[in-house]
Amino acid sequence: MSTTLLTGSEAAAYGAKLAKIEVIAYYPITPAFPAMERVSKFIQDGELKANFVRVESDHSALAATLGASLAGARAFTVTNSQGLLYMTEVCYHTAGLRQPVVMACANRALSAPHSRFPEQGDAVSQGANGWIQLFCENNQEVLDNTIQAFKIAETVKLPVLVNYEGYVQSHTLEEVVIPDQEKVNAFLPLVRFKTLDVENPQGVNTVTSPDFYMDYKFRQNEAMNEAVKVIGEVAETYGQEFGRNWSGLIETYKMDGAEHALVCMGSMVSEARLAVDELRSQGKKVGLVKVRAWRPFPVEALRASLKKVNKVTVFDKNIVYGMGGALGTEVRGALYGQASLNVNSYIVGLGGRKFGLNEIKQVIELSEKTVKQDVISEWFGL
Amino acid sequence: MTLRIEDLPKEELFGQGNGGCKACGAAIAGRQAMKVLGERTIITIPASCMATLGGNNQKTAWKIPFYHTLFEMAPAVSSGIRAALEIQGVNDVNVVSWGGDAGSADIGFQALTGAAERNEHMIHVCYDNEMYMNTGGQQSSQTPLYALTSNDHIGKPVKKKNMLAIMEAHGLDYVASASIAYPFDLMEKFQNALANPGFSYIHILAPCYRGWQIPGEKTIEFARLAVESGLWELFEVKKGVRTRTHEPSLIPVADYLLPQGRFKNISKKAVEEIQTSITKYYGRGDK
Repeated sequence: MSTTLLTGSEAAAYGAKLAKIEVIAYYPITPAFPAMERVSKFIQDGELKANFVRVESDHSALAATLGASLAGARAFTVTNSQGLLYMTEVCYHTAGLRQPVVMACANRALSAPHSRFPEQGDAVSQGANGWIQLFCENNQEVLDNTIQAFKIAETVKLPVLVNYEGYVQSHTLEEVVIPDQEKVNAFLPLVRFKTLDVENPQGVNTVTSPDFYMDYKFRQNEAMNEAVKVIGEVAETYGQEFGRNWSGLIETYKMDGAEHALVCMGSMVSEARLAVDELRSQGKKVGLVKVRAWRPFPVEALRASLKKVNKVTVFDKNIVYGMGGALGTEVRGALYGQASLNVNSYIVGLGGRKFGLNEIKQVIELSEKTVKQDVISEWFGL
Repeated sequence: MTLRIEDLPKEELFGQGNGGCKACGAAIAGRQAMKVLGERTIITIPASCMATLGGNNQKTAWKIPFYHTLFEMAPAVSSGIRAALEIQGVNDVNVVSWGGDAGSADIGFQALTGAAERNEHMIHVCYDNEMYMNTGGQQSSQTPLYALTSNDHIGKPVKKKNMLAIMEAHGLDYVASASIAYPFDLMEKFQNALANPGFSYIHILAPCYRGWQIPGEKTIEFARLAVESGLWELFEVKKGVRTRTHEPSLIPVADYLLPQGRFKNISKKAVEEIQTSITKYYGRGDK
């Protein structure tokens, strides 16, 4: 075990190295590219025995990663924004083929207009593609979640997207504890799932009729439901082994006696904690629910954790046009029929618009002033 | 070494129970290739007739691992498979991607050029029926000049893109054209591709009787006429050295073109122009 300063992208690379990935295919995109550069260096320095496939596009990056996984290797890739969208059909396909691929994503705003700044809209756009999605609040969690992602993926046979924000995390140094390789080996032993195997030939993705298709989809969704439990179990075991329990689908912070709960995901969580600390010190009964797993969406966990509050404020660093922020919409759906609480949601920080501690406090203040009628996806900071 | 029919394995690794039309040129190409590729082969096939006819629900016409990939990505998937096999110490498995003209020359070209440039040990096959048959026969970049397609009732106004020249320009150590009417020539080319430690490209003319509007029982015959008229040259480029592997008898191009329904709009002048260019091409002693 050692402690060092790492950017989020380096933390993802270290996580992948500790997970002993065997194949990485990658196409450079800003701001995720340092993760790939670091993995390439691990390979060239002899610190990681893996093959790097230098593909010509993001689409081929996931295609090659998927091919490697089908042939039995532990496979990893990294992308964000346009790269992730370009991969979209391969994302759906990978999930449908039930391959335990892990991908890190340095969340970035989508074009147009062109922006290279942080936002969660890229990940949110993939909310129906069948991948488990974890959001990380700091670089330590990026490393820890990357390792856990493989454990989860290989248990439920679904791919996992590990989200961390562009620049805010990808290019910011933080102190990160790097666990011992032997302990990670014990936590995550190499298991091979060979789908394309000359010793056991089979047809993969054959033309599927209405007699079968729906049943495959049912089983795929069942795997997602299984992940609800598995994500928590993996977090628990990881916590016991490595001393950091990032909780399961959600984490509650200072929710005891809270009347007003903040709900958000990603790097905003770290600053929301500070806001809660400050408001609590002023005697205000504010708590925080961190959404760690965006998919599967933590419906039951949210219902349980928000049972006793009378106000919920959601920060959405994404916009679903014509509908509002995705997290706000889903939190409201999850809480439907539960008590008469006020769910206010705000669109914040798009394309890198500043949304730090002060802005969080301002939104809390706005939200506090509302009564009964929900504020649905109000834009903050225009 | 010249292949003889008695040298070929009796076992059929592809084809039995396949869902293709009964005169499918693509299925014939697959059957011939598998005689050489053998059972230690993993094949990836992007969206195409060949992908759909290879398996239905829980049945497959392949006795080797067969993966029906998305349209744009078969060579990239194959790269990942090669990387995964290598890291596991498996070096005796052939990795093949097998696309139609769309999956190779058009929508699949980006992944193909990427894989070719990386020069990993694998083979990409383009089985070319000169139109998008899996969606009903629309025009592709491989559709020849003047040919009718389901979305063009006049005739293609531009020439067929020369994929063999493009792939040759990647500096590959093995590039070859082939035809299902010349099975031993085709199979020897697969042997040569397997012997190449880098990336190999084989482009097979595989007629589709429906798209070409010819009688089904004449699939092989028209594949042969394409070669003998000089319109589909059989050759290979091994480490930069180009060799014609079959000397055509140069029958009139009209004998190949005019019986096909897809060329029913072709003018006499156009046929003459094609004949002139073919005569000139072969007459210059390019061997």
